[in-house]
Amino acid sequence: MTPTLFGRWQTRILLFATVGILVTLPFFLGLISSKSGSIFLWTLGYVAIFGIGWDILYIYIQHFRWDRDWPGAFQLLAGIWEAVFVLFLIKIIGLPGIPEQNFELGAFALHYSFVWLAIYLASQTIMRILFPYWRFRGGQWL
Amino acid sequence: MNPQPWRLRLTWIDTVTGDRRSPIFDLPIALGRVFEAMPPTINSERVSRIPLKSSQVSRFHAVIASETDSSIVVTDTGSRNGTFVNGIKKNRCVLANGDMLQIGPYAIGISFTVNSTETPSVNSHIFFNPQTNGPDSAIKQPATSPPSPTVNTGEFPPIAFLHASEVTMRSIQSMGMPVEEIDWAAVGGGLGSFIWVDLLRICGVKADRIAVLGMENQPYARYRRLCLNSQIPLYERLRSNSDSCPDNIWGWPPYAVREAWQELLKGRLDVSLKLMWQVFAEPTFAETYTPRAENVFDSIDREVSRIGWNQMFRYGRVRGIRKTDDGRYAIAYSRSNAEHREHVFLIAKYVHLATGYPAIQFLPDLQAYRETTQDFKSVVNAYENHDEVYKQLEARGGSVLLRGRGIVASRVVQRLYEARQKNRDIQVLHLMRSPKPVGNKFNFAERSVENHYEFQPFNWPKACWGGELRVVLENASPEFIPQLLTDWGGTTTANRSDWRRMVKEGLSQGWYRITFGEVERVERDSRNRTVTYIREKKLKGQIQLEADFIIDATGLDAKVKTSPLLNDLVIQYNLAVNGLGRLSVKQDFEVPAMRNSSVSNGDGRMYAAGAITLGGHYAPVDSFLGLQYACLRSVESLAKAKVKSVRKLTVVRSLIQWLKWIFNKSPG
Repeated sequence: MTPTLFGRWQTRILLFATVGILVTLPFFLGLISSKSGSIFLWTLGYVAIFGIGWDILYIYIQHFRWDRDWPGAFQLLAGIWEAVFVLFLIKIIGLPGIPEQNFELGAFALHYSFVWLAIYLASQTIMRILFPYWRFRGGQWL
Repeated sequence: MNPQPWRLRLTWIDTVTGDRRSPIFDLPIALGRVFEAMPPTINSERVSRIPLKSSQVSRFHAVIASETDSSIVVTDTGSRNGTFVNGIKKNRCVLANGDMLQIGPYAIGISFTVNSTETPSVNSHIFFNPQTNGPDSAIKQPATSPPSPTVNTGEFPPIAFLHASEVTMRSIQSMGMPVEEIDWAAVGGGLGSFIWVDLLRICGVKADRIAVLGMENQPYARYRRLCLNSQIPLYERLRSNSDSCPDNIWGWPPYAVREAWQELLKGRLDVSLKLMWQVFAEPTFAETYTPRAENVFDSIDREVSRIGWNQMFRYGRVRGIRKTDDGRYAIAYSRSNAEHREHVFLIAKYVHLATGYPAIQFLPDLQAYRETTQDFKSVVNAYENHDEVYKQLEARGGSVLLRGRGIVASRVVQRLYEARQKNRDIQVLHLMRSPKPVGNKFNFAERSVENHYEFQPFNWPKACWGGELRVVLENASPEFIPQLLTDWGGTTTANRSDWRRMVKEGLSQGWYRITFGEVERVERDSRNRTVTYIREKKLKGQIQLEADFIIDATGLDAKVKTSPLLNDLVIQYNLAVNGLGRLSVKQDFEVPAMRNSSVSNGDGRMYAAGAITLGGHYAPVDSFLGLQYACLRSVESLAKAKVKSVRKLTVVRSLIQWLKWIFNKSPG
């Protein structure tokens, strides 16, 4: 992957809004874990919003790489980092829409992992098939 | 009496094309990145200003001048990265004949002998044999030259055709040769044409409206031959990414997934998982995955049948292309062979040129050796078939002098390492022009170097294909492009752990040595061995390197002048040629001056792709993925112009066509 900043943003927004919501629905309906409800949608939203900011940091890191690329392994590390950050905010500061008492770490971890995996796989497969120009434009599908 | 100004010959290699420049300049000489930043006169003497395009060269970097005591001194004029003489950083240094000056990535050889009796310093060539489609050193001029317009030998194409910028359909019909009409013509018949036609078919063009003109109907024939010649056997891996699939525009499933699947079917789960880990963790936590040559060729075979390539392919050698008076192009081609002559005109509305490398670069001193001694066995180019060299080494042992330091040199070293397993009595001397202690730098990043091999996974930084660097180059002004290409390009090889191990082993065991120097000439001694004379810097003497074989691994040449077909087009239509001597094309790879507008028939267009377009706004033109990018851009602009029968590659079309690919169904 050799994304540009706009490419990262466009891909993130598209995939969170489609694959992200799709994967969150079972959680929202309470089909997977004992918890259910809009808390999962709020989490998804926060990860997406903060991610817009983190993407700027990732692009900055890419500038130190000769190939200006972003290996898949880095995407995993980024995923872990973004999870830790959101967790930190939820626990220490508290985020609107995610009440402290409703929050359960296990459900969050499961939900987050599924969303991350689904989005990662979608970016490796479906994006290439539906948007053949996507990988030549640094991730811009528009 | 005015004293004669001192003159120096400076020799350096353009790191992007591999071209050798060896001009003579009057002193004082100023070196820097920006012409205007260097002074026009010093001490009322006119300065020879040499612009060197690279971000590592300061705007005014150094000056070479003669002193009152007649010595020639190089002075660093406050550069950021310093000036190096024979590897040592100097602010001021007296220069001797044969010294090597390093300024940024440029290694400049200094010579005091400016007589014209020196061996010619421009690159010489090995052309491709039109019959065998392989490199043939016996060919002095490519056989496909259009005959000179001043000589009427009754040759083909007729003089009337060659002289005119625009030929009328009537005159073509009256020439008495078969005339075929088609919508789309692809000239070249190699991988560039294949990728173009593949995309046309995916975008809705029917097979019976497309004609491909080439020498062999397997699109990868020449590429495969060059691979085998340059020591990449079919089971070995190409320097190409997992998702660079010439048979599949989407890059899914990539070669790594296909290979992992094959391994799974064979019951080798561990290998399968290792491959998947590789593409996930590359290049930082695992070695970059590259596909096996045979898998790539097999996949192309499948796509060749799927799109109906064989019904589109026509054997032919294109002699000339001219615009017609009705908005199309007349392509004159020859189908002659030993038994009979046959000449044909193909009229097409849209022409695609992807003729590739017309010739192989061959070092001039080696060319001179061959011409004097007629010895074509001891001195070879790595792109020629030279398996005999390894056979002899394995049988009798011997010594090899290897020149060049890119990916081909690495393949040769690997082959020599394998030869040594059969016969320990093989010595390898690797002659490089100059040391490369550090790699290129760009912004905050730097390429890594080990044992003077500079590493890069592919022939350009990855982001040149579809990332940030692609955007940078696309938006760069034409004056800035050569600098970017110099910074990002250069001679690199892949960071393969097995290759690095072989080099380290060779160096420590002593059978592999690296030496530096500028070659003056190559001769044959009384024992029929080759002797290479290089200028030695410190002792100001001459070193002689004896070897049984010399292998030139320096590269291919695609300048427009080298291809008679392109040269003819450039001259006839005054086509723009870019800074690297190749065709200048628009962002969508159209050749602008070849647009053929007609009132009744709309616009005929000509597109170009591949090595013949290097030097413009897209760097990795000579790669699978780069060819796909070029063709995607061209098809996009055709669809936007509402050209009949080319459909836009929308989400729906893309999905449907991908499914057809999966189920091996014709695109339509």
